[in-house]
Amino acid sequence: MIVRFEYFAPKSLDEVLRLLDEYGPDACLLAGGTDLLLKIRAGAVTPTAVIAIKAVKGLDLISFDTTKGLFIGATALLSDFAGHPAVTKHYPALRDAALATANVQVRNMGTVIGNLCNASPCADNAPTLIAMGGTAVVESRNGGRCVPLEDFFKGPGQSVIGPGEIVTSVTVPVPPKGSGASYLSLSQRSRVDMSAVGAGVFVRLESSRIAQASIVMGSVGPVPMRASKAEAILAGKRPSAALFARAGEAAAKESKPISDVRASASYRRQAVGVLVERALGEAAARAKGD
Amino acid sequence: MKHVIELKVNGDSYQVAVDPWRTLNEVLREDLNLTGTKLGCGTGDCGACTVLLDGRTVSSCLTLAVEAAGKDIRTVEGLAPSGEELHPIQEAFIEEGAIQCGFCTAGMELSAKYLLDRNPAPTEREIRASMSGNLCRCTGYDKIVAAVDAAARKMK
Amino acid sequence: MAAFDIVGKGVPRTDARAKATGSATYTDDIKLPGMLHGRLLRSPVAHARILNIDTSRAKALPGVKSVITGADIPPVRYGNWRLFPNLQDEYALARDKVRFIGDEVAAVAAVDRDTAEEALGLISVEYEELPAVFDVDAAMRRGAPLVHDEVEGNVSLDRKIRYGDVESAFKEADYVRKDTFTVQAVSHAYLEPCSSVAQCDQDGRITLWTSTQVPYIVQCLLASTLKMRENDIRVIKPTVGGGFGGKMELRPWEFCAAFMARSTGKPVKFTLTRREELATGRRRHPMKLISKVGFKKDGTLLAKDLKILLDGGAYNAMGPTATFLCGNFGAMLYRYPAYRFLGLHVYTNKPPASAMRGFGAPQSLFASETQMNLAAEELGIDPIDLRLKNAQVPGDEIPDVATISSCGFRECLENVAVMSDWKKKRKSKKKGYGVGIGCYSFISGGVFNWFNTQYAFSTAEVRAFADGTVHLLTMASDIGQGSDTVLKQILAEELGLAMQDIRLTTADTAMTPQADLGTWGSRVTLMAGNAVIDAARQIKEQLFGAVSARFNLNVIYDLECKGGRVQAVGKPERGVSFGEAVAMVQKTNRGKALVVRGSYTPRRKGLVTPAFSFGAQVAEVQVDQRTGLVDVKNMWTAHDCGTVINSKSVEGQLEGSLHMGLGYALSEQLVMDGGVTVNDTFLDYKIPTALDMPHGVSACVPTYEPEGPMGAKEAGEGMVSPTAPAIADAVHRATGYRCMDLPITPEKILSGMKNKG
Repeated sequence: MIVRFEYFAPKSLDEVLRLLDEYGPDACLLAGGTDLLLKIRAGAVTPTAVIAIKAVKGLDLISFDTTKGLFIGATALLSDFAGHPAVTKHYPALRDAALATANVQVRNMGTVIGNLCNASPCADNAPTLIAMGGTAVVESRNGGRCVPLEDFFKGPGQSVIGPGEIVTSVTVPVPPKGSGASYLSLSQRSRVDMSAVGAGVFVRLESSRIAQASIVMGSVGPVPMRASKAEAILAGKRPSAALFARAGEAAAKESKPISDVRASASYRRQAVGVLVERALGEAAARAKGD
Repeated sequence: MKHVIELKVNGDSYQVAVDPWRTLNEVLREDLNLTGTKLGCGTGDCGACTVLLDGRTVSSCLTLAVEAAGKDIRTVEGLAPSGEELHPIQEAFIEEGAIQCGFCTAGMELSAKYLLDRNPAPTEREIRASMSGNLCRCTGYDKIVAAVDAAARKMK
Repeated sequence: MAAFDIVGKGVPRTDARAKATGSATYTDDIKLPGMLHGRLLRSPVAHARILNIDTSRAKALPGVKSVITGADIPPVRYGNWRLFPNLQDEYALARDKVRFIGDEVAAVAAVDRDTAEEALGLISVEYEELPAVFDVDAAMRRGAPLVHDEVEGNVSLDRKIRYGDVESAFKEADYVRKDTFTVQAVSHAYLEPCSSVAQCDQDGRITLWTSTQVPYIVQCLLASTLKMRENDIRVIKPTVGGGFGGKMELRPWEFCAAFMARSTGKPVKFTLTRREELATGRRRHPMKLISKVGFKKDGTLLAKDLKILLDGGAYNAMGPTATFLCGNFGAMLYRYPAYRFLGLHVYTNKPPASAMRGFGAPQSLFASETQMNLAAEELGIDPIDLRLKNAQVPGDEIPDVATISSCGFRECLENVAVMSDWKKKRKSKKKGYGVGIGCYSFISGGVFNWFNTQYAFSTAEVRAFADGTVHLLTMASDIGQGSDTVLKQILAEELGLAMQDIRLTTADTAMTPQADLGTWGSRVTLMAGNAVIDAARQIKEQLFGAVSARFNLNVIYDLECKGGRVQAVGKPERGVSFGEAVAMVQKTNRGKALVVRGSYTPRRKGLVTPAFSFGAQVAEVQVDQRTGLVDVKNMWTAHDCGTVINSKSVEGQLEGSLHMGLGYALSEQLVMDGGVTVNDTFLDYKIPTALDMPHGVSACVPTYEPEGPMGAKEAGEGMVSPTAPAIADAVHRATGYRCMDLPITPEKILSGMKNKG
């Protein structure tokens, strides 16, 4: 493919918004570029303007506050995120998901939010962020809005973000007392691979019972998908291996995987059940250890 | 429209006019004749094009040259302190037999540097994880892992 | 066994420093003044007649200097089969028909790559699509579309081997089993994509720098396709980033670069993309193998009847040799009193398969080693014991094919059993745990002369100088395996010199002596090594004469080159430095340079190879029974490669083989959807990473190969074969799933476990 575009590297968010407004659907935002450049070369997108946002000051912020929770800026690198002390301490499952994303070099270029905005069903960072109640902060020249990540994805490669809009940050609430989360993924082929299946779960225990459970599965549907029937099985129950196995089975039934070069639908369904079961075990252990 | 940018490579400044879609890999190899950096896949999967950008390993095939403007770029050509002296990582790669066809070597050495700059005494597992974005088809990685380990000891 | 000074040591590679500093020059690193960039237009359809090609719009694009199609070039078919011209079935650019997705249809040369790429989009080709065939069964069906109109039934070649009375042996057998195996296509996945740069001088002579394993073959076939004389073409192999069999033919971009350099008067470079490499490049043959074996109750092998269908893709490429060799390997390792082989090389509308590390052995040995394990299980005999009972030993004859000289196979089996603690581990009943075994034998170069060369198979020129240095010139091609270092070591050892005393010029068809058949079939160490020794001995003969005369030595004295000196054995005072001895020879000859040529051509070595290597490997796996994920924990290997010339290189080859064998077993497969290669990136064509590799332990079984240089033979190619059957056997012990169709995927394991209940 012959690739030609104009390139802008604005220094301020206002300037980003102005360019987004000016070029509308012909603009693409460039953060890490690891997905965008491949899409451009494959002809999947044909922007006339590429707007790089890494030069915007402060957009790479990662911060944690015991009341407001975690703040992830639009250009926060996957490697910085995975290595951030607060993430390691309070959000180990988010760290695991970031570390499961692509390879070292890509994590040094790519961003957490870019991974979400690419809106691939196998985005490693999506399931756990959704399960933990993350919210995207979206801005445009016409103002801002907050979108719960659960409502963020619309289909393969499609999110709610429209022309003129940018996700400037994602926030995640402070993990409540007695809660734990986990992200597990697998590939059939290598330890460094695009995940063929992933599961991000969050559980909160109250008096040794499951007061809240969120299960989000990756790569088993057009978007990262919630396993609500599996969640219902858990509600109010005492955590146990048998319970998690039942939840895993239910999640597998709910999943809507397709077959592709990385795995068949039936394998994905079987594997996602196992991952949900195991992730629940890990999340519950983390919840108890709190 | 071409952008006139300044690239700081291995401490030297170059002014180049580049189309915005050209990658750092192309500009290093074609405009600056720094051909030690290889191109193995063009999709960020093999690591042969790895360079250090502000101290971090990146795939130069997925980095636009305009994005690298003003940043500190280090390539394999900038590893050795002089024509006669080698960097300890290079010495270790030679001594341990970590080089066969050599096409992955530049990227491997820079990934090793990135690791050792942050973690001067990595475990074998840490070395393997850190080098796992660099594919090698010849060595089976054992001697590369041994070389990084040996380099860590040399650099102490 | 002789004690060596340099041979056997882990001497650092000659080219390591250049590679470590990034200064080694690979083909794509070459930039010549005025150089044009070439791109190839490839067929988007699997099988079609070309009705019309319109290049006018491409030619009109500013910056485009040349556009060529099959109609513009001499209609000369090529292939490495000069001895069998009917097997030469390729044109550099398609004429009349395209036969696979990726078949080269046209080429563009332009001032830069983007312009060349843009021009490709401006060429319009009218195709009349034809029905296509995508597997061997469909291709051989009556009335199937013909990939090559002149080849009825799409079988381009058959190969038969037969000895002993197979029918009565099966009648005598207590236990007979017949199994069908299939194996997938995999990519060489060398990290350096193919690249070529051609330049034409004012006399019309062409120089081609190209990433190749076979400069001599490229030179000759370029000459025939360009209708030029061989020596008007100079092929230079720069540093090569791996080949593994994938760079051992003349390729269309080499032809196009040379043709367009001549027609435009400007240098032309072609470099392939990884996508082109994976989607359209050469690959290891997928095969269907039907094998019947017969044993006595006590495990004695009686007979084998093997039929192999090779899915060759659209052209012969190196398929005919693979057809021959997979039949040969079907009867290696064990004594088969009766053997019958039928190999059929079948055309399909897919990218051509060709030589790849093991050259027919990985496929054939996956089948026969798995079948040995199946038989061992049913006969109730430990698989290592069953192998020991039937193992080949030195002096064994394979009728009409070869006599085995050195052979440490039994020792390999015994060794690997001890190293891996086989007996104990094999009994383990731990869930999801298993150990398994696979073995291999391989060749040390081919005896066959399908290229019909009039030259010696390998040649070496040595020039000795009075300053104590020597210059070794050989066309042998180091593609990363380390032959430059090994040849230097052999020469240094023979002449008693140090590595730094030797200057090396290799793989330049105009500067190094004709000829060398190239790097394939593990031939370089043995054949080029023997040529170097031949040259070194001629040098020594002259030096010894001069020193003998100078010290008036009794003619019964032995002389030696040692430690930089030429001297009477054990009498260093009766000798001079190497340089002084050279000067004496030159003075004796009134100024004539001391230059000699050595050569090697295998003779009276049967039909296959001068020497066989052997080995045995044990795999230990832990399988996650819920997800089917296989964790290969340990691999133990014992192998017999004769004398080790460079210990680091041999280890490196073994570790690299393990990598490729692991990929073949578990993760690698070119997935086809009809004629489309679905996984054309390294994201989805998965070679193992540093995190995927098991812990490996290896041991060399000492043997001495009389035909090899200093007793050496093959190391590093054959070892790619045992890994898949060993892992498959271990997975079977761990899960009950027996893999008969590579690769072993978690999916297959889970469904295999389910079927077993």
